[in-house]
Amino acid sequence: MSFRAHLASLVAAVACVPSAGAADGAPGRSLAFNPEEVRAIVSHGPWPVPWTPDRSNRVSGSPEAIAFGEQLFFDPRFSSNGAVSCATCHVPERQWTDGRALAIGLEEADRHTPGLLNVRLNRWFGWDGTGDSLWAQSIRPMLDPREMGMSERRIAGIVRFDRDLACRYREVFGAVPSATDDTGITVDAAKALAAFQETLASGRTPFDDFRDALARGDRKAGARYPESAQRGLKLFVGKGRCNLCHFGPNFTNGEFEEIGIPHYTKSRAIDWGRARGIKLMKASRFSRLRGYSDDSTGATAESSRHVELLWRNYGEFRIPSLRNVALTAPYMHNGYLATLRDVVRHYSELDLNRMHLGPELVDSDGAAVDPQIPTLLKPLRLSEQEIDDLVAFLETLTEKKPQSRRASVATPCRP
Amino acid sequence: MTRRFRTFAAVAALTAALLASSEAAAQSCGAGLAGARRIESSSYALAFRTQPAKIVIGQHFAVEFAVCAKGERPSPEAVQVDALMPEHRHGMNYKTSVRKTGPDRFRADGLMFHMPGRWDLVFEVQGAGQTERLVRSIVVQ
Repeated sequence: MSFRAHLASLVAAVACVPSAGAADGAPGRSLAFNPEEVRAIVSHGPWPVPWTPDRSNRVSGSPEAIAFGEQLFFDPRFSSNGAVSCATCHVPERQWTDGRALAIGLEEADRHTPGLLNVRLNRWFGWDGTGDSLWAQSIRPMLDPREMGMSERRIAGIVRFDRDLACRYREVFGAVPSATDDTGITVDAAKALAAFQETLASGRTPFDDFRDALARGDRKAGARYPESAQRGLKLFVGKGRCNLCHFGPNFTNGEFEEIGIPHYTKSRAIDWGRARGIKLMKASRFSRLRGYSDDSTGATAESSRHVELLWRNYGEFRIPSLRNVALTAPYMHNGYLATLRDVVRHYSELDLNRMHLGPELVDSDGAAVDPQIPTLLKPLRLSEQEIDDLVAFLETLTEKKPQSRRASVATPCRP
Repeated sequence: MTRRFRTFAAVAALTAALLASSEAAAQSCGAGLAGARRIESSSYALAFRTQPAKIVIGQHFAVEFAVCAKGERPSPEAVQVDALMPEHRHGMNYKTSVRKTGPDRFRADGLMFHMPGRWDLVFEVQGAGQTERLVRSIVVQ
């Protein structure tokens, strides 16, 4: 059967089929999805995505590294006041974020804590993509004076002189921590931290069940998906065009956009977002372009080699995954929007004059030259019903029973 | 037949042969690129294929291509490759690097289509002080 014929059969299978047993208690009914919609919906799976190691991290996937990284993640000694660990902001019970608008480490930061679920699927890390690998990104907060305030020397000293950590280090990396190479130990600790974070994954959701039912033409299973969520899904892949950026199984294309969120920080500085992230990545000793990457082929550094600073990068921030999105409020890089409804309303009422547009799209005063010009983003002008439906759909991207993982109790390392 | 006429006829035949040979070369441009797609401009024929063949949204790919001059046009001096989404008025987030891999043959690395929809793949061919754009639309889902 050709792909087109298969799609046609799928469409027929889900077209307006009354059925009992919708998840929200309302009578179940499968809406009609056209072939284009079906193709778009099916592209958001399957879930989960198979695991592949990070070749720039030689301990990616190593059980010993994962255990070592978990221990480091919850250890507050890796902060200058001995009270802040990675888990202070990335709280396991809060989907590895913290529920605050702005993160608080040693001080309040300028940005919201991004969640860590499915972080291994990212191409760029952090809101501005300063990190081109998970291990490089794991170094940044430890050395940031407002987050954990450490130095490479202090990090290395703790690993070197704590008997248990030194033992685990040897177990993972096959040698005792160097007596002199502080940077090398810091990078290795970050690689263990990355190995641990790669294991943080969200499970299947009601959307995944619907998507799979659609893919196999199972109309009975498909009809269990709430009708309001189906309407929201139609908007998501149709009028809303949300799937242009929130693409694929992880509901993100891994890139950056500017969506009209204020650029100013609390101290009235401008957060340049992606533009600064590119500059910092290019200058970083820890990028995949430099010698600390374990990928001798350079294949994992392709994005880092080819990314270049563009006008539109100013004010862009990373497009986040939408998985478990109902549990990760507040939203946006600075926690500017409190609820999912606020987020949908933001796109509905988008003010192009607040956006940082490219030179071809603005007049001399910086205002959009023509609100009708065909750009990626435009106000969706949603009805209240449509807003309800989009929120209902987004809620189905969340696990019904999310895991609440806590730090494992580590048994002492035996030299 | 006068001597002058014989000379003229010889020159004309030679010119025609050269042009035919050049057109034939343009026709066979990229003969070694299995599955290549062709684009033509007034001065150049271009055959390209992507590597891998199927473009996946959000994943890097390369373009292998051949550029052949038509008529008496000299071979291209340089080629740049870019892509953009005309409906959204934006391009790629990555800058390609192009290297020559043989006579009239090139490879562009670092391309990535980060959104579904129609992309215009643009080849800017420079030669004899002029630049020509050869464009092919590609829809990725």
